[in-house]
Amino acid sequence: MFTNHIKIAWRTLLKYKALFTINIIGLAIGIATALIIFLFVADELSYDRYHKNADHIARVVLKGKINGEVIKEAVTPGPVGNTLQEEFPEVLKATRIQQQGSPQITYQNNTFRDHTFAYVDANFFDVFTLAFIKGDSKTALTEPNTIVITQELASKYFGNEDALGKILDFKEWKQQFKVTGVINNVPDNSHFHFDAFGSMEGVAGAKEPRWIESGYHTYVLLDPRADPKKTERKLPNIVKKYMGPQIQKAMGVTYEEFTKDNEVGLFLQPLTDIHLYSDFADVSNIEPGGDIKTVYIFSAIAIFILLIACINFMNLSTAAASKRTKEVGVKKVLGSSRSELIRQFLTESFIATAIAMLLALVIVIITLPLFNNVSGKTLQTAYILNPEVLFYFLISGIFISLLAGSYPAFFLSSFKPIIVLKNKFINTGKTKGLRSGLVVFQFIISAGLIIATLVVDQQMTFIMDKDIGYEKDQMLVLRDSWMLGTNEKVFKEQLSKDPRVFGVTMSGHIPAGPTNTHMSSFYLGQDSDGIRRTIVYEIDDQYIPTMGMQLVAGKNFSKDFGPEANHIIINETAAGILGFTNNSIGETITLMINNEGGTRKYTLTGIIKDFHFKSLHQVIDPLVMLHTPSSGLIVRAKTGDMAGLIANAENLWNSFNTGEPFSYGLLDELYNQTYLKEQKMGTILNIFALLTIFVACLGLFGLITFTAEQRFKEIGIRKVLGSTVPQIIAMLSVDFMKLVGISFLVAFPLGFYLMNAWLEDFAYRIEIPWWIFIVAGSITMGIAFMTIGWKSFRAASMNPVNSLRTE
Amino acid sequence: MLLQLNNISKWVHSGGQKVFLLKDINFWVHEGDFITIMGPSGSGKSTLLNVIGMLDDFNEGAYTFLEEPVHQLKEKHRANLYKQYIGFVFQAYHLIDELTVRENLEMPLLYKKQSASERKALVADTLDRFNIVGKKDLFPAQLSGGQQQLVGVARALIASPKLILADEPTGNLNSKQGEEIMEIFKELNSQGVTIIQVTHSEKNAAYGSRIIKLLDGRIE
Repeated sequence: MFTNHIKIAWRTLLKYKALFTINIIGLAIGIATALIIFLFVADELSYDRYHKNADHIARVVLKGKINGEVIKEAVTPGPVGNTLQEEFPEVLKATRIQQQGSPQITYQNNTFRDHTFAYVDANFFDVFTLAFIKGDSKTALTEPNTIVITQELASKYFGNEDALGKILDFKEWKQQFKVTGVINNVPDNSHFHFDAFGSMEGVAGAKEPRWIESGYHTYVLLDPRADPKKTERKLPNIVKKYMGPQIQKAMGVTYEEFTKDNEVGLFLQPLTDIHLYSDFADVSNIEPGGDIKTVYIFSAIAIFILLIACINFMNLSTAAASKRTKEVGVKKVLGSSRSELIRQFLTESFIATAIAMLLALVIVIITLPLFNNVSGKTLQTAYILNPEVLFYFLISGIFISLLAGSYPAFFLSSFKPIIVLKNKFINTGKTKGLRSGLVVFQFIISAGLIIATLVVDQQMTFIMDKDIGYEKDQMLVLRDSWMLGTNEKVFKEQLSKDPRVFGVTMSGHIPAGPTNTHMSSFYLGQDSDGIRRTIVYEIDDQYIPTMGMQLVAGKNFSKDFGPEANHIIINETAAGILGFTNNSIGETITLMINNEGGTRKYTLTGIIKDFHFKSLHQVIDPLVMLHTPSSGLIVRAKTGDMAGLIANAENLWNSFNTGEPFSYGLLDELYNQTYLKEQKMGTILNIFALLTIFVACLGLFGLITFTAEQRFKEIGIRKVLGSTVPQIIAMLSVDFMKLVGISFLVAFPLGFYLMNAWLEDFAYRIEIPWWIFIVAGSITMGIAFMTIGWKSFRAASMNPVNSLRTE
Repeated sequence: MLLQLNNISKWVHSGGQKVFLLKDINFWVHEGDFITIMGPSGSGKSTLLNVIGMLDDFNEGAYTFLEEPVHQLKEKHRANLYKQYIGFVFQAYHLIDELTVRENLEMPLLYKKQSASERKALVADTLDRFNIVGKKDLFPAQLSGGQQQLVGVARALIASPKLILADEPTGNLNSKQGEEIMEIFKELNSQGVTIIQVTHSEKNAAYGSRIIKLLDGRIE
């Protein structure tokens, strides 16, 4: 009997080729999309779980509110880890990371600058599970100036030679490290990816009990039996006990007074939450992380597109029911039971699903590299082939075929055999309501995704076009110019003579991309209660004109200022905090110069128009500029011939014989990189929206095909009675277009609400314009009409004799 | 007595009025009968046949089939009854298009849960008996109307029913094909199979042993 089912199913599928193809393609796209998203989500959720103690490691983070400024940092003061270990028995180990960017590393003739380096405590590899290929994980970093490197870095510098015992030269730090261990590369699904881990032993300040200066990523390994919540509740006492006295020393107020208006506290963040649930200040993150919202959004899309494909299956199968009444009737008369028929129809849906799943696997294998490219992931197809995943894949296949096949099966098998004897076609009208509902649902999702795509696109355009307060086009950033040493100034002067150059400034402070960060705190005159943290830019007199920034009051720094002149320029935000107006030039501002309470007084020289030195997700913070030398060059070109200028700069660079290759960055590219996550999200959303509407339209195409066939005779009669082709097209299409229209009633408010929530994450954002809904509506309507229009036209323009002759 | 209908009536409501499709039908069939039901279009011939075949309900009266009171039986029990004892032949053949001749013949046996070897033997016998061995692997669409009806009759017969119900079995056939089918019916009847046919044709009616004439739902 079962082979019989398969036989009939197979031959039925072949007979209704168009329907079959639509079903299979729709289902395959749905399954493939869901599968890719599953891989993406599984990868996002797997972050940092590879550590043996993943569930018992927590990161200590700092949160607070000081003079109205919200502080959320993933870094803590240095002594936090050790103190927690000493004070609390349930803290088994504490270890720290201090990231150091990408220093230049030299071994003999090999010099590279593309490896990330961090200082870590000696017990780092006891807490985190990173397998050693060579060396001993327990003792590798106990000595100062020892380093553990990845296999990749080892083969790059030492080839096939044994890396252990080799000396790596960090010329710019005037330090040398002995290789004491080689590990595998840090897995992709990790919140840090250092290539080299230097010993924290002997690092200046690493052991000093400084509690009001952050800079260490601190991790604690907790006793598996302990409740992290209980430990977390004890942390305020630690803050009071250790941080309190130092706050008093630095600010001159007691901890009790300080906490009247301010908050500062330490909290525990589970290791496995770091990737998806971190909302800490950008500078304090080791790497930009993921976002749980993205996981939710993508998961929802996966479910939706799968649902849409299943709905197609149900819709087309029930619509096709009219053609299968005979088969059902005959079988029942010949003795088939209803359950036998249900089994038969389910077999059909199983076979269709199985083919669709195979096709989906092929699609995934082909498109995964593309998706990786767009999403910046390194997802592997091989992951699907692991037995556990395959098991779930098969289970979900069965679920999908039940979901898609059960309704048609119960519906089709319910026909009474008398129907076939009376030679009557079943009226599938009663299922029309359900079909309509399903079509509306599909188009709610399609239109909703189009709205989402348009809003993301608009916001990205807004970000790219926004007046950010400085010039980002045709700006060349030479971050490595410190290598020129004392020649940096000479290089700058010579480059300035190039006629293509508008201006050159010497400063390492760049408002986009990686930059020197220098934090301090400032207050007005003697009013140390109103202390606020600020970013400090160290610039020369060329910086403001070269960057195209504008002063709203006062004047720029000048060459004529002596080095001790104590001039300061602040941004509008800082001026607002201090209560300054444009007439406040000449006022005194006090800046902290160290954490022991050392201060220095500055005279306000100018107020600069606010410019965006952080991403538009964040509001503009206070910023002060000091007339202090700093290394790094920014070149503004006044020409379209950037290539020529870059070539000239390179020649000039080579003439100084630094031994280092010339390298540069473009400011607009650095700026765009800030929004890489949003851009990726936008691209992926675009693709998914296209796929969703494609699958929905496949279904629509199937439905109009059946409607046209069902109404074949009616069309013939109408034509004989004088109906025109456009009238018939309208008759066939209008019902569907109405459904698409109804879907807008839900899609528009829903899209508006959800996209508003997405925009909330931007401090600077667009208001969703009304025309987006018109555009989204027109696109959806247009695509839907194109889908059904052609079929309607074919049906409407047939010769009526054909349909009437069959009677 | 194979079956007996006592005072069977069937009606539908149309515009608030009862319209009788069958009215007060009294009718009996003995094993071995060859009965022809005749009457103009709309006289209720097919409805009567469907009631006898238990495919359609009736509103009033009693129907006894092999001593079983059909009017008191549950749907499922009734279905089992007709599956076991009745074979149907349709005007439009109603072969399953997706199955070959052999598979179409096998279908009723599958539903009776017969073993593969039994099915194979029975199908081979039947193909032989109806002289269609050469056609066994063809699909219905590849056969002429007469051949399709031949397969239809063969399929109705393969499970050895006591009663064959034929609703205008020659209606879609030309006269030569029609005659062949009727000859087969005659031969089957002589072997003891009970047959009830509905027809418009006096010529076909002549094959039967008894004629029942219907007009407006009543037996004349």
